[in-house]
Amino acid sequence: MEDPPSLNDKSNSYVEFIKAVYRTVDRPVTWLREKVVVPNRPDNVYYHQKFRRVPTIDECYTDDRVCHFEAQQQFNRDKKVDGEIVQLVRQRYKECLIAEQPDHTRKCAKLQADFLKVSENFCMKYADLGPLNNVKDAYMKQKHRMLWERRHGKVGTGMKNQDAL
Amino acid sequence: MTTGKERLGRRSSIPPKFVLIANLLRAFASKVNLPKNAINQGILVLRSNPNNALQVVRQMSEHRTMHIKPSRWSWNRFKDFMHFYIMLGAIPAALVITYINLFIGPARLAEIPEGYVPEAHEYFPHPITRWLTKHVQKSYQQEYELMCHHIYEIEYEQKLRQAENRIKRKMAEKQDTQAYYYQPVSSRYERSIRDNAQADLEISGSV
Repeated sequence: MEDPPSLNDKSNSYVEFIKAVYRTVDRPVTWLREKVVVPNRPDNVYYHQKFRRVPTIDECYTDDRVCHFEAQQQFNRDKKVDGEIVQLVRQRYKECLIAEQPDHTRKCAKLQADFLKVSENFCMKYADLGPLNNVKDAYMKQKHRMLWERRHGKVGTGMKNQDAL
Repeated sequence: MTTGKERLGRRSSIPPKFVLIANLLRAFASKVNLPKNAINQGILVLRSNPNNALQVVRQMSEHRTMHIKPSRWSWNRFKDFMHFYIMLGAIPAALVITYINLFIGPARLAEIPEGYVPEAHEYFPHPITRWLTKHVQKSYQQEYELMCHHIYEIEYEQKLRQAENRIKRKMAEKQDTQAYYYQPVSSRYERSIRDNAQADLEISGSV
């Protein structure tokens, strides 16, 4: 499918007039910024902080409170990072939907599957645990899920009968 | 400043017909039951003046008057607050922030060079945040390590206390040890009472 027509292809006098009006305001301001303001600024840089990995909660002794604290902080950081990952995948899916609107079921199927998988993993790890980011609650949730899966099979395949267990 | 005897209006610019009607109406108004007419008894006389305020005139004093009008205290206080918060707050802040955003500007993102450990203030883009992190606030790492140390000390004291409680409970259960299982007594107070009694005896001759 070819691209939809844009203003850069053809022009008429009306379009030229509108562009000229825009340029009367834009040109001086852009010139001032590029030639005067920006070269006289100090060139500061900033970095993204990289954190070392510390032992997670399952590698800590039960009475080692400092280890618990560090594991909790790492859990908080990981949760934020995972949340941003889900946001990115969701944003890509949404943009695909809007761009391919009448054919979105067919064209965005892979992105939809990706998004559902990513959000399912996120919810498996972090969801339904209350407002406080408690790393021990998340750990216990994982333990309970593994026990449940041992008894009943994969999550989503239904519970077995109590007599059959 | 008008004296009490002057009347309302300027005589020069009003045609005579209207002056007559105005006088008639004024005479009528003075008989009607208005508050200003009711205070005509006694030594106080109410007159109206061109400033549209009631004037209190004491017949025995000079021409100084007190204008009875609603209080302008709230309005003046409002103006004071507006001046304070806008002239001293909003406008200087806006100017400083505009200058910083235009002439210093935000930092650009870069990869961390090999073997270089950036300082805490180099993790933020905006110049004001960088300045605050550098000179005012504690960095994330500093607070993290302070908290770790605090937890370490508290945990140590907790474990000591827990061990002590376990020992005490076992000693209470088994009742087979005498060591350290008594109420500690301090004789500091008895000693001070004895010394005070001695001093009283020396000073006054009796306890």
